[in-house]
Amino acid sequence: MDTLHDLGGKQGFGPVDVNEPEAPWHHDWEGRMWAMAQSSRNTTVTIDWWRHVVEQLPPQAYMTIPYFEKWCMTDLALGVDCGTFTVEDALNIDEKTDVRPPDAPVPEVMNKVQILEKNRTSVKTFEEQVDFAPAYAVGDKVETLAHSVPTHTRLPAYARGRIGEILAHRGAHPLPDKSAQGVEAPEHLYTVVFTARELWGEDADPRDTVTLDLWESYLERL
Amino acid sequence: MTSGTSFDRDKLAKIHDHLHSHLPPEPALRVKALESLLVERGLVASETLDAWVDAYSEDIGPKRGAQVVARAWLDVDFKARLMDDAAKAITEFGFEGKATGDLKAVENTDSQHNVVVCTLCSCYPFSLLGLSPAWYKASAYRARVVREPRKVLEEFGVELGEDTAVRVWDSTAELRYLVVPQRPAGTEGWTQEQLAAIVTRNSMIGTDRVLKAGS
Repeated sequence: MDTLHDLGGKQGFGPVDVNEPEAPWHHDWEGRMWAMAQSSRNTTVTIDWWRHVVEQLPPQAYMTIPYFEKWCMTDLALGVDCGTFTVEDALNIDEKTDVRPPDAPVPEVMNKVQILEKNRTSVKTFEEQVDFAPAYAVGDKVETLAHSVPTHTRLPAYARGRIGEILAHRGAHPLPDKSAQGVEAPEHLYTVVFTARELWGEDADPRDTVTLDLWESYLERL
Repeated sequence: MTSGTSFDRDKLAKIHDHLHSHLPPEPALRVKALESLLVERGLVASETLDAWVDAYSEDIGPKRGAQVVARAWLDVDFKARLMDDAAKAITEFGFEGKATGDLKAVENTDSQHNVVVCTLCSCYPFSLLGLSPAWYKASAYRARVVREPRKVLEEFGVELGEDTAVRVWDSTAELRYLVVPQRPAGTEGWTQEQLAAIVTRNSMIGTDRVLKAGS
C-alpha cells in the first residue's frame, strides 16, 4: 500500500538533527514503551502485521506523533483487536489503578540479569529451509515490480520499476506481504544493488549505489 | 477475552482512529494507559519493565558494537568470521539478541563508504547497538539519506575522499547491518579496550567515517 510510511526519497524535509545527545531514550515514557514491546505482545501478531498496523495510523498522526508513541498506539489498537481490553478500558484508564485483580494471571517478575539472558536467548533468524531453488544468482540483472500492491509490502516506491543487480542471495525468508495477513510463505530473499542514477536520474552521483533486501516475487528477470 | 489478532486492516484503522481521537494527546499518558492495562491484566509486571529499561540503559548499547569492531581490527581471523556471518560472530561475545539473528557486517574502505537506513520503518540491530538515535527514526533521515546521501553525510561532518563511493543499505527485510569503520592511523599497539573507546555509535551506522585516535 502506498501509505506515508514509505518515506524513501520524499523531498521537503529539513536538515537532520545531528546534535542529539547520545542516550537510549530522551523521555521516561519512551523506555517504558520499549520495555512493554519486548515483553507483552500477543503471540499471534507477526512482525509484518505489527508493522502494517503502524502503517494504518491516521496519516496526519503518522507524520507528527513521536516514534515510540506510534508503538504505543499500535499496541493499544492490537490489544483491542485481540480482546485483551476494550477501547473504553483504554479511554477510562484514569479511573483505575495499577492493581492486578485477584483473578488475573500472575506475571513473572524478572530482574536485570534474567532480562539480559532473556534478551540473549531471544535471538532468532528469519531464514527458513525450503525445498525450492532460488531463481536468481549473484550478478543477475533484475527489474522490480512497477506498481503498488493492495497489501503490506517491503518494496519501497522509490525502487519500483527499477533495474538492479543481485548482490547476494540471503536464503528464504517469510514474504512480508503474506506474513502481514497471517500466512507463512517463505520466498528467496536477495540483496539487490541499484545505481543512484537508476533510482534518481542523471543528477545523482555516478559513484553511488543503494542496496535493498528484496523478495523474489518483487523481481522480474531482464 | 484475549484471542488472536484479526489481520483485518480496516478494523485496525478504525480502532486507531477512535483511540487517536479520544485519548489524551500526551504520549506519556498514552503509554501509562497501556502499561496500566497490561499490568491489570497480569500480562507484565512493572518490575520486569524496569529491568528491560535498566538492561538497555546500562548493559546493552553501542559499546557492544565498538568491542566487536575493535576485535575485528586486531584479529584477522575474527574479522573473517564477522564478514562471513556477523550474526554468528557476535555470539562469541554473547551480544546476540533482539534483531541480530540475521546480522550482516559491511566494511568501509578507502573506495567505499557504507551508511545504513530503514526507509520503511526504523529497523536497527538493538542487541548489538542498543536503541537507535532519534534522528535515525526521523522522517528527514529516512527520506533523505537514500536520495542525497552525500548531503546528509555532510550535515554529520563526514568528509569523503574524491574516489570514495557511497553505498546506502536500506534495511527492507529482517537483515540488520553493522558498518565496520576503518581503523585510524596512530593506533598501532593499542589494546581492544583502547580501540573500542574511539569507535562511535554513528560510525557503526555510517554517519561518521574518520575516527580520531586522539579523542
